[in-house]
Amino acid sequence: MNNTLLECRDITVRFGRGSEAFDAVSDASVKVVENEAIGIVGESGSGKTTLARVLVGLQTPDQGDVLLENKFLDSGEHTEGISQSDRWKVQMVFQDPYSSLNPMLAGKNAVAEAIQVWTRCSKSKAMNEAIELLGDVGIPPDQASQLPGKLSGGQRQRVSVARALAPRPKVLIADEPTSSIDQSAQAQLLNLLRRLQEERKLAIIFISHDLNLIRYLTSRVYVMQKGDIVEHGPTERVFLTPSHPYTQTLIQSIPGSKSDTIQIIGNSEV
Amino acid sequence: MIDDGPEPLPPLLSVNKLSVSFRVGSGLNLPVIDTADFDLEAQGSLGLVGESGSGKTMLCRALIGTLARHGAVINGGSVSFAGKPITNLGESEWRKLRGHQIGYVPQSSMAGLNPILTIKSQLSEVVKDSIGGSEFDVRREVLELLERVRIPRPTAVMRSRPHQLSGGMRQRVIIAAAIAQRPKLLIADEPTTALDVTVQSEILALINELREELGMALLLVSHDLAVIEEMCSLMAVMYAGATVEVGPTEDLISSPNHPYTRALNTSRTDRARPGEVLESIPGDAVSVGHWPNGCRFWPRCPIAEQDCQDGLQPDLLAIQQRASACIHSDRMGVAA
Amino acid sequence: MSLAVTLKTLNREALYGLSIIVLVILLGIIVPIASPNDASGFVADPLAPPSINLPFGADHMGRDLFVRTFAAARLDIVLAVLGASVPIVVGTFIGVLTGAAKRKIAGALWDALINAITAFPEIVLVLAIITMIGGGWNGLLYAIWLSRWAQYARLARAKTLKLHESEFVQAAKVLGYSRIRIMARHIMPNVYSEAIAYALSDFVFIIVVIGGLSFLGMGVRPPTPEWGGMLAEGRIYLQTTPRLVLFPGAILSLTAIGVALFAQGLARHRKEVVR
Repeated sequence: MNNTLLECRDITVRFGRGSEAFDAVSDASVKVVENEAIGIVGESGSGKTTLARVLVGLQTPDQGDVLLENKFLDSGEHTEGISQSDRWKVQMVFQDPYSSLNPMLAGKNAVAEAIQVWTRCSKSKAMNEAIELLGDVGIPPDQASQLPGKLSGGQRQRVSVARALAPRPKVLIADEPTSSIDQSAQAQLLNLLRRLQEERKLAIIFISHDLNLIRYLTSRVYVMQKGDIVEHGPTERVFLTPSHPYTQTLIQSIPGSKSDTIQIIGNSEV
Repeated sequence: MIDDGPEPLPPLLSVNKLSVSFRVGSGLNLPVIDTADFDLEAQGSLGLVGESGSGKTMLCRALIGTLARHGAVINGGSVSFAGKPITNLGESEWRKLRGHQIGYVPQSSMAGLNPILTIKSQLSEVVKDSIGGSEFDVRREVLELLERVRIPRPTAVMRSRPHQLSGGMRQRVIIAAAIAQRPKLLIADEPTTALDVTVQSEILALINELREELGMALLLVSHDLAVIEEMCSLMAVMYAGATVEVGPTEDLISSPNHPYTRALNTSRTDRARPGEVLESIPGDAVSVGHWPNGCRFWPRCPIAEQDCQDGLQPDLLAIQQRASACIHSDRMGVAA
Repeated sequence: MSLAVTLKTLNREALYGLSIIVLVILLGIIVPIASPNDASGFVADPLAPPSINLPFGADHMGRDLFVRTFAAARLDIVLAVLGASVPIVVGTFIGVLTGAAKRKIAGALWDALINAITAFPEIVLVLAIITMIGGGWNGLLYAIWLSRWAQYARLARAKTLKLHESEFVQAAKVLGYSRIRIMARHIMPNVYSEAIAYALSDFVFIIVVIGGLSFLGMGVRPPTPEWGGMLAEGRIYLQTTPRLVLFPGAILSLTAIGVALFAQGLARHRKEVVR
């Protein structure tokens, strides 16, 4: 029985032309099942964001396929509300809270729009649902009526989450959702995402450079370096006994990590 | 009392009840720091922790005398460096301190470098300032500096311009410029925030090595407690413009005496158990101009009581080597 | 943001500017109606000095300079508003549409056209067009519109292209919004809000252009009262009766200053209040 929700196979994305061309992503395969939290971790230039964009349909791969619920997807256009593909089932929360919301739309309007597009209900019904959804993510009605410019980074990210949840997706991709916000807001956002995952049985794919975050949040992880997936497996296993040298370097670079990493030299544990 | 030895040296850097405000036209002041307190001994290391709105960036600016160009002034308290007050220095006096005695590494490496000039010309400027000498001497000194910050292929780097280097290399160049004149104090404002984690650990290791080689004190500003744990023996926590706790890093992390410090600890992902709910701080960070009455943390504090809500931000209360601004710190051990 | 809230929080600069503009407009409406004298009627001796009945005196043809000046205000302000706003609205709209152009060729063609038009100094273009289609206040307007729309189209196109890469537009695509919805609800409002900022400073420029062209005899024709025309007519008398030039000139300048103040204040308000 294959309950894989979202999968991509042998994805290659090429940028540039001629001699300047390079593979941002090379032969990458990732999959996630229902109610699972996985991580894609890598530094800058690893291709993790490009891969995320392929998964969500913003980037067309030069090679490879994306499958949603075992059906092939293409990143073609689809008519609003009546999707020829089920692309809407995969939604995304972006990294920069300062540009991921339309600066001229109040939070509740942005969320209501998403609800209206996907349920074709009346404006007032959509607005009520929007306010409820925003309340669920910790944004009270008075904040929901504010323009993004008046909200803090953490609040904006939560509005982004509410907007992403409006079409009731099955997979949520969070691209560095906490990189640009304070630590206290970070904890709130992560708790929120974990709670939402449990309540709605979401599959979540965390894209991050922060290994601690990935270790805390996910059960499986893919490690990327310069476009390749160099290692993948259960998160704890990868952290405690990384097999690829790059993963080892990455883990050793975590501040204060030297105390609790077991290094593997050759095939024996030291 | 009989003196049994020479007078203890004053701390290298001493910040006492420092207040800084923005001038917002016609006599109005917007306080951004009120008050900051901590001491840093020569060759010691102190980590300054705070989130946005805490005032830590302004504090750095006060310590290198660049408040004026950001429209801010010191309007209370004092700062002294090597025993002498530096609260009211003029620009020419600051120029003697900056670089010579106090080195500064900013957050963004592109901000500290001139995009048009080569690395060689920029570092030469700094070097000429301190040692003078012939072209040849200056060039040799620049080369030595680059080697000291472990830059590979220094001659090639010398001919390059900032945009041709990676973020990590640029940061090394900035550090080279900061330590060129062997300052007694190095202030690093989030020096690795914009870098990849592998590069980050190299840069932090470099800073540690240089500290030992040159006997510098380090003031490290960071939002990352793990970094501070690794680099600094002392830690000062800032919230809404005030120092709320100060003391040895280990102690503040293992047994914090202020609810905010404790909350920062419990919301760390690197110390959290996978699957556990993170104890987060409710509400949002308070921004400049919106400080509540009383203890500025009380609206978000799990142990706040009535007396926390009135009056002014509590002063730091020192107990042995530590100080906390929580008037109920005795309840810290009890709170779950 | 509601108008009332915006008005209350405006800074002093903007309020002064706005007051000046409102004052001039009000006078422009009230004075010609309230006064017994007609703007183009011959009511006194030529060059009669100022008196109770003639606050600015009479002009060289014996017309009431005071009424004429403010009647001219009406015309000039309306022309300036039309002259400034139409290119912005239309040009921005075209720019957004071309910015959303799917195929590269279409975009390239538009770029070429827009660059060609904006390469000419505006005044040259305006003069050329007026010469071709004739003057009068309508020729003036058409000439101004045709020579100015392209620069807004260019700005709008550039901004549109940039907005397409911004995360909230990407989010809209991921949410499956149609291209029309994205363009209308997400891109246009953001592009227009930037374009409007230019509108006010343009307004000042247009007033001067209209005045200048009419001064040269290419715009509004006498006897219609219009500031530029009045300046042209009064120029000969500058040495003997300077008020023929000074009064209309002063009101023209005052209006321009008012608009400039308002524009500046509004820009500052936008910067400080809307992040």
